[in-house]
Parts: sequence; C-alpha cells; structure tokens
Amino acid sequence: MPGLPPLIEEDVQLMDSALDELLRKSEATLALVIDKGGPVIHQRGAVGQFDTTTIGALAAGSFCATQAIAERLGETHFASIYQQGAHLSLLFSNIDDNALLIVIFKAELSAGAVKYFAAETARQIVRQFQRAQQRAPGESIDLVGENLLDVSGVFSKNRQN
Amino acid sequence: MAIINQATKELQVKIVYYGPGKGGKTTNLEQVHGNVQGVQEKGKLVSLATSSDRTLFFDFLPIEAMAIKGYKTKFQLYTVPGQVIYNTTRQLVLRGVDGIVFVADSQYDKMALNVESFQNLEDNLKTLKLNFAEIPYVLQYNKRDLPNVAPVEYLDYLLNNREVQVPAFPAVACRCEGVFESLNMITRLLLNKFINEGSRKAT
Repeated sequence: MPGLPPLIEEDVQLMDSALDELLRKSEATLALVIDKGGPVIHQRGAVGQFDTTTIGALAAGSFCATQAIAERLGETHFASIYQQGAHLSLLFSNIDDNALLIVIFKAELSAGAVKYFAAETARQIVRQFQRAQQRAPGESIDLVGENLLDVSGVFSKNRQN
Repeated sequence: MAIINQATKELQVKIVYYGPGKGGKTTNLEQVHGNVQGVQEKGKLVSLATSSDRTLFFDFLPIEAMAIKGYKTKFQLYTVPGQVIYNTTRQLVLRGVDGIVFVADSQYDKMALNVESFQNLEDNLKTLKLNFAEIPYVLQYNKRDLPNVAPVEYLDYLLNNREVQVPAFPAVACRCEGVFESLNMITRLLLNKFINEGSRKAT
C-alpha cells in the first residue's frame, strides 16, 4: 500500500474544486480530507471555526477503530460513519486505503444528501490521488544541503520552568 | 508516511511514543506541551484516557515548528496505550508513523516489560507491513531518578544490541530531563531520512 505522494498545485486545485462543490451542493459547513494516520491533507469551508488538526487526529482514530470492529464482525465493506448531533452532524467517508473525507454539517440537513454528494467527491479525490501516484511515486521533499546542526534544537525548552 | 504538500509548502510528520505501561510516554508529551518555546504554534494536548488516568486510545499533541527550507513543519506527537490488552489500539496509532521514541522504564523489575514492549513494536510494524529498519527511532531510558534502576549499559544490551546503535537518552521525564533531547534527536533523524531520500533521487 503506497503512501500519499507529494502533492502539487494540480492536486490542491482539484481538491479545492471538489470540496467547494461538495459544500455548495450539500450546504455543509466544513469538509476535510485527512490521512488515516491523522494529519489533515486539505480542508475547505469554515476552517477557522474548528480545531481541524485535532478533529483530523480523532476522526482518523475513530474511523480506523470502527473499521477494526467491523473486520472482527466479518464485515469487509465499511465505507462510512454518520454521527447525528443536536446542532452539527458528522460524516466520515472512506476515500481509499490512505485517506478519509470528513464532512461537518448542520443537523437539520439531510444526511442522505450529504452522503450522496460526499461519495462523488471521494471518487474525484481518489482519481486525483491515482494520478499523483503515477506522476511521482516515492518522490520526496528535497532537503539536500540543509544543515542538520541547525535543526538539533527545533524544540527548545523553557528554562524558566 | 509524512504528508508533503509542495503547493502549500507544508511538511507533516507523525512521531509515536511507544513503550511499556506506566513508563512515562504521556509524561513526555505533557512536558513538551508545558515547556516548549520558540515554536510557531502549539496545539492542545488531547488525552483519551480511562477514569484511572491511564491512556485508553492515545494522547495527541500537534506542534508547528520553524520553517525548514521554506516548508512549514508540523509535528504530530502521539502516545500509544502501554497496557498489554490494548494491542489493536497500538496498531491503529502506529498507522502512518514516521518516527518513534521508545520510552523504556529503567527499573530492574521492568526489564521484561521493556523487552516485551519492544518485541511488540516490531511485531506491530510487521503487521502494518512497515519495515522497522526504515523507520527512525530513538530510545529513552526513563525514571533514572529511582533507586532500583538498571545501568544504562544493561538497557543498551537489552534494547540497543545491534551493529549500529540508535541514539539513547537517560531521562527523568517528570522533571523534563531527557525529554527535549529525545524529541530533537528523532526530529533530526527524520529530517536526515528526507535528505538521504532526496540524495538518492538526485543521483
């Protein structure tokens, strides 16, 4: 299972357009593409209203834990989780082996409609990730020439404590 | 696997603190959260713990460090639950790991647990089809302030007995000793890995 390749402008533009379309059609509040390891890959919508970094980490854990339960029940097809809230609801949809689509939307909206539009968005993103894999499998960030002595203290400790 | 976004100039890496139960993994994250300075942004420390304050799923601390070659570098620090029964959970947390800090308990009577946990780490990485040899890690010998600790050489013999030894740090995590040394070293090893991969690409 190859990991996510480095993303370039083309990938970001595709995700911008796919997530914006999802938000417009579904009237959802926020859409996130996250890696199943936890990091947020891309996000659109009311990003400033939420701690999306923590939501990404918790959503990845939650989805993968539920998937592990489903596997123990002999369930091989596991595509989404829906959590209905009083004000906001959540939909976690599988994109591929590496990624998830998280949609946060007002509770009064139709979950079925959000799920329908999210499925199409997930398909668009899968296709783009496949193109990215074919474009540059295993390519990495170029840090050649970086002075590692400079990064020995990336995290410094507050001496006053 | 690190997330590299060349369009937004972002690099995200995941570091997992692994080791036996009550070894000090959560304390490491608490100390980083409480004492780190000079970073771009520090998120909240999220702990999914039992009512008795033992890690149930994971602890999570996001930190955005300085830019490297113009890339925003975001670190996601996780702990695993150390208790033996939570192995499936440990596998879930290891998913997408880029670097590991193995936190060992230096007390003599914890040596078997250290070895078991290290073996468990190797087994879980195999289950996830990850090659341990390709994942940077450091060892932290914690609780050096306690009276019944084994010599560092003995811990090295048990956990670091290989041709090329990995960096190991004595620590007293509750006093923040050895915590930043371990974190900075795993960061350095991770970036070194990127540089080596970049070199291979260039040749």
